[in-house]
Amino acid sequence: MKGKIIEIKSDLNTAIKNIIKTLVQKKLFDAVFVPVRIPSRESFAYLLIKDKEILESITPLPPTMPVQGARALKDLTRLGKLNLRILCIMRPCEIRAAVELAKLRQITLQNLTFFSFDCPGVFPTAEYIKSPEKYDQNIIEKIKAWQEDGLRPNCSICVNFSHYNTPADLHIGFYRNHLLIYPVSKNSQKILDILSYRAEDDLTEWENSINTLLKKKKENRSRKFSLLSNQTKGIENLEEFFTGCINCHNCMRVCPICYCRQCFFESPEQSHHEAEEYLARAKEKGGIRFPPERMVFHLGRMNHMALSCVGCGSCEDGCPMDVPVGQIFSFIGNEVQKMFDYLPGKNLEEPIPLLTFKEDELHEYEDTREKK
Amino acid sequence: MQTEPTIIGFLCNWCSYAAADLAGNSKLEVPGNLTTIRVMCSSRVDPVFILNAYFQGADGVLVAGCHPGDCHYQTGNYYARRRLALLIKILQTFDIEPKRLRLSWISASEGQRFSEITQEFAKFIKEAGPNPLKKKPFFE
Repeated sequence: MKGKIIEIKSDLNTAIKNIIKTLVQKKLFDAVFVPVRIPSRESFAYLLIKDKEILESITPLPPTMPVQGARALKDLTRLGKLNLRILCIMRPCEIRAAVELAKLRQITLQNLTFFSFDCPGVFPTAEYIKSPEKYDQNIIEKIKAWQEDGLRPNCSICVNFSHYNTPADLHIGFYRNHLLIYPVSKNSQKILDILSYRAEDDLTEWENSINTLLKKKKENRSRKFSLLSNQTKGIENLEEFFTGCINCHNCMRVCPICYCRQCFFESPEQSHHEAEEYLARAKEKGGIRFPPERMVFHLGRMNHMALSCVGCGSCEDGCPMDVPVGQIFSFIGNEVQKMFDYLPGKNLEEPIPLLTFKEDELHEYEDTREKK
Repeated sequence: MQTEPTIIGFLCNWCSYAAADLAGNSKLEVPGNLTTIRVMCSSRVDPVFILNAYFQGADGVLVAGCHPGDCHYQTGNYYARRRLALLIKILQTFDIEPKRLRLSWISASEGQRFSEITQEFAKFIKEAGPNPLKKKPFFE
């Protein structure tokens, strides 16, 4: 594995910023799509930057993720192809969600270039805004030590945090006070040429460190999943798992994959019923909880989007009741993606399983008992 | 007191619904507690329809369409199979009564088969007892 190793002289954000500034100055990109700290200093937002001066204030590595990058990018390319060349600096899960949205025809990837980086995970937004200074310092240490405590629960079980399975153009790794530039796509050669870098340095040491971390995270993940499997087995357990849910649908609104402008669960067909109907249901069940259709919403949403779930955990971050919804979607996503041997966002050419089929498959789900 | 179970059948207009019609015309026995819903294709059945039926107290749900390869719209039933497999997998993972959902292929000429499948399914559901989701006010 070959790439370019650069020593970090100040801090990580500045080192990445310098690379971006060079690329914009040399007119390889017309604009940059990157997180910037908002003026109140308590949060971060994606900014489409044309002005070189604003480039000074970017934070390519924010310690929190209030808005999923793919969700932000979707608004940018909603009406189709861009004529400007835009550089997007995003986390691996954000890039995978963007590719998934491209498959769903919600994002146009033409003229977009993606830089990904070794993601140390993010802190829960609600925790971050309480004491930004503490976490700003922490994120740098996190990157150095790769610790998991205090991170978003989904981040500590994420196994696609590095260049694996992420269709970025160029990947930026961190290793022992060095920045590693690893070209992934064919496009990236041009970028390296402009930066006058040659991908000749040996990256094996970094790769080994990533693999060690990956092994640890995979163990975490399978431990967490077997725990979740026990926690949610059976009707009573599942009811208890979602008991705090107030049916606000915020998990759906912050989800990068849930793109429908009218969610089925908010349509009149699904959710507006006459009082008599609710009375009939209450008679049947003994009573019904209001607002109704909470469990149908969660289980139905799993059917609609779990195959594309990238496991970013935005849903859990947005949940006002601290329901571990991100973890359960990650768990069920993993289960159903295995069924079709599919990894969301890995490859643009690979169709979403529900949009394709094989003639001879899944016979175990058909009723075969009565076949002649 | 044992009550008769409620079974919802989503039947594809071109095959299974015609098979139900044929079964009736041929005076074959079809369970009286089967409520049929005609859909234009088995792939029209959103998994949420089935969840709605479950949560509102249906004891069994049957989805029936044309045999693979015979779909009126060429490929609809292949997509339906994937969707249903996904739903069954989710129900299996959470252990919420996956056995109460059945996917069958019944062509327009198979009135006999329609009668057999529905009777067998009705018997199976009756033996399985009422849907446990029925008496769960907090699981809606």
